[in-house]
Amino acid sequence: MADKITLTVPGALRYRALAVRVVSEAARLVSGSAQRDEQDLLADDVRDPFDVAVVSAFMEIFNNVAIHAYERDPTGHMEITITPGACELVIEISDHGRPFDPTLVPSLPTDWDAHSLPEGGMGLHIARTMLDDVTYEPGPPNRWRLTKRFSTATEPRAVRT
Amino acid sequence: MLLPFDVEKSHDATRLIVRGSLDINTAPALAEEIDRIIEAKPGKVDVDLSPLDLIDSSGVAALVKLYKGIRSSGGNIAIKGARDQPLAIFKLLRMDKVFDL
Repeated sequence: MADKITLTVPGALRYRALAVRVVSEAARLVSGSAQRDEQDLLADDVRDPFDVAVVSAFMEIFNNVAIHAYERDPTGHMEITITPGACELVIEISDHGRPFDPTLVPSLPTDWDAHSLPEGGMGLHIARTMLDDVTYEPGPPNRWRLTKRFSTATEPRAVRT
Repeated sequence: MLLPFDVEKSHDATRLIVRGSLDINTAPALAEEIDRIIEAKPGKVDVDLSPLDLIDSSGVAALVKLYKGIRSSGGNIAIKGARDQPLAIFKLLRMDKVFDL
């Protein structure tokens, strides 16, 4: 399996698509999924459940760092280390922004109707539910560690913080 | 930036087609259009998500705002065509039943 992939990007939202591209390709290394259109390698083509889980979770954590840790200040950086394994993908993200306490993020209700649909607070829930393990250590540097194992059911799992 | 949506309006209906990636970078532009759509109080809104490749929680929030806004003004809204990653997100959030996806 491939060696570690490291990427340093400014902690600003305009760099998110670039980071997502790298992460989605790393997910393909583990899942073995094929590009839908090999003539359009830049398409946002994420279909395999493993790739979907990894990319969806990463997007939310990137948002979290850029908006909450760096408070939209584009001068900070994010160091992203991706480790593709035979049966899992591990993504570590470190930043030097403001730490936060994930335990203070309220859980989403388990059920809702047309009137009570949530309009916020979904990001961390998506990351937690899509992945097998999410850990966060406040810094500096703050460290996220996201783990998705291959051939496991995509079920809600506990989050260690 | 290429806007990730098109809007087609007829007498009493509006069709919104969302494509590409609806995320924290592109959702604000859609949210502005959503404000205009809600303000016009159309009787019917059809949202076509079939060209949509990626969505994040910001994109979901924009669509929820549209859904609530149209329904609260007595209109009907149908959200259709979600596939792949966007459909997985709606299912994870248990919105697929509400949106009838």
